[in-house]
Amino acid sequence: MGKIEWAMWANEQALAAGFIYLTGGIVGVAGQFSGWKFAAFGIAAGVFVCLLEYPRSKRIKGTNFERTGQYCFTVCVKAFGPLTRNYYVRAFLHAVLCIPGGFMLATVLGCVCLGIASLIYLSAAIHGEHWEPILPEAEPTKHVSQSIKQPPQNPPPRPPADMRRKRLDDLEAAAYVNPIPVRE
Amino acid sequence: MGLSLRSWIANEGGKHCILITWLSVSAWIFWRTFILYCSGAEYHYLHKMLGLGLCISRASATVLNLNCSLVLLPMCRSILTVLRGTRQVSSKKARRLLDKSKTFHVTCGVAICVFSVVHVGAHLVNVVSFSVRYSDEFPALNVAHYRGQSVPGITGVLLVLVLFLMFTASSHSVRVGNYEIFWYTHNLFILFYVVLLMHVVGGALKYQTNVDAHPPGCIPANQTRAHSDTWPNQEVDGELVAESREMSLVCKEDAHFQPHFPQTWLWVLGPLCLYCGERLYRYIRCNASVTIVSVVRHPCDVIEVRMLKNSFKARPGQTLTVPGGLTCPTENKETFGIHVRVVGDWTDVLCPDWKLCCAACPRLYVDGPFGSPSEEVFNYEVSVCVAGGIGVTPFACIMHALLDEWRRYKLQRLYFVWVCRELNSFYWFAELLCGLHRKLWEQNRPDYLNIRLYLTTAQELQNLTDEKYRPLHSRLLIGRPKLKLLFEEIGRSNQHKKVGVFCCAPKGVSRELHKLCNSFSASGTVFEYNKESFS
Repeated sequence: MGKIEWAMWANEQALAAGFIYLTGGIVGVAGQFSGWKFAAFGIAAGVFVCLLEYPRSKRIKGTNFERTGQYCFTVCVKAFGPLTRNYYVRAFLHAVLCIPGGFMLATVLGCVCLGIASLIYLSAAIHGEHWEPILPEAEPTKHVSQSIKQPPQNPPPRPPADMRRKRLDDLEAAAYVNPIPVRE
Repeated sequence: MGLSLRSWIANEGGKHCILITWLSVSAWIFWRTFILYCSGAEYHYLHKMLGLGLCISRASATVLNLNCSLVLLPMCRSILTVLRGTRQVSSKKARRLLDKSKTFHVTCGVAICVFSVVHVGAHLVNVVSFSVRYSDEFPALNVAHYRGQSVPGITGVLLVLVLFLMFTASSHSVRVGNYEIFWYTHNLFILFYVVLLMHVVGGALKYQTNVDAHPPGCIPANQTRAHSDTWPNQEVDGELVAESREMSLVCKEDAHFQPHFPQTWLWVLGPLCLYCGERLYRYIRCNASVTIVSVVRHPCDVIEVRMLKNSFKARPGQTLTVPGGLTCPTENKETFGIHVRVVGDWTDVLCPDWKLCCAACPRLYVDGPFGSPSEEVFNYEVSVCVAGGIGVTPFACIMHALLDEWRRYKLQRLYFVWVCRELNSFYWFAELLCGLHRKLWEQNRPDYLNIRLYLTTAQELQNLTDEKYRPLHSRLLIGRPKLKLLFEEIGRSNQHKKVGVFCCAPKGVSRELHKLCNSFSASGTVFEYNKESFS
């Protein structure tokens, strides 16, 4: 909670809208309604939007939820650089793609849903969000500390065994000071 | 380990029964409506005009009616809490089914979306049929005003739009990341239902009222007279037979058509009123704001807020809704407290020095208490509680209750497994755990409470060095819990018993636990799985 990430919701909407656009287009073409050419455009636009929106962006804060098998899509979308990173571009693109859908009854729903997604992307862009690819993190190489490479050659300095033996009769003499200070 | 039938039935049986019942009822009403519109006499002319599109759209509409009424019922949480509390009425099996109310709500929601797609598709075909097969014979049946007109259903488009907004904001990632978006879009349900009630009043599809007087397929009276004039030379018998056959096929009246009474109102109004009543009750109850008595800062970004509210009574294990999610109250005579993680919204504003800045403290509205699976811990002889991080709060209230009086419950043994990422998290409830442990030892029940603490991310050896937390010191293990070995140990010590397993932990742990509960078959012990979720 805290800061709302609009882009996450816009992404879910755009993916669902792409699917609705695609379905409406298929119905329009299959039923041979008048204006089926708009339906054919709807199919193409729907597929394109689904492919573009499938890879989720990295969240600003918190755990990332990847979609199954989204890595290859992430690589493709990342390749377009600033065109796909910027949400203003996405908002504009969705707005342009949805307009032809409004001319035919079968695709009008896809048009409206994609339009709403476009508006939410605009809101995300205004809030300064952008698309970040979720890439698998490289394992950091374990640094082996210097001291392991050079183990000590000699045992720690100790007085001889009979001096170390506990002598209850003469406690004062039994005490000794370690030549090397013991660290906590 | 493969599935154990006994364990699977104990854990999954009830759920699957409900699912199969719901599927069968949906399939039956779909089929019944489909057949009615396909071959019913009063829909004969309409069917001729529209074809399969009519049957599919009406059948899917009936399934939509069923699901739109059922989807509201699991969300009447106060009513479900009361049902859970009435021990005389419901058995433990029924209460465990109530735990799955949210899952049932989601299932009905998904069914609504799927059948809406079917319904819209069929109606699109109907629109074309209304346009192309414009009927000159029965003008009352037409929806288009002329041949070739396309008629959009405005209310239908609005419904799908609202459904689209609600559905896209309910995905797991949006719920976890931005709970407010989910909450506010889901409250559009009221708009959905208002438009739905208007949608069915349209009366586009009509049925024939006078089937007796005008059997479908009959010949109009003026046409029969013309027919008999052209055949004057028939044999007497043949003429009588032919005429009598024609007499039964002659229309006595013209066909009358009438739109249906909106059946959806009968399905939907009851649950809608019930749910709206419940929301109103919750709003009134939660409007009595709570007074914050103290705020204590705990390590690892957790604060404990102790509050005072009039006539607040929560049973141990119940949950509360605060802005931002659910949490579990721990009662302490007059006040009740909650532990919440600081995530940067209202939690940031609450400062530990409340005495100094009480005027600036925000007013808190809490909704609840609601029933939850964790209330069942006391109804088993042996219970296992597995908590992950902040998910320990339901079990903390259980332990508070045990600290007060452990003798009056059916519970004889409690295994408590708490998995945390950081050592400091254990300090949230270290005192409570040690206090309960000490009390049980003093009262000669050392085997009652078994504590296992696990620290998952530790680079070097760590321990709870405080002298007063000695009992926890020796029960702290580094690394993830080996749940299979734990279950085997519990099974050996509690043979032929029913053990309640309660989990409030991340998905990985809860999934593993669920699998173990379904597949455990040694020593005659049955593990019943109960899951708590906070999203």
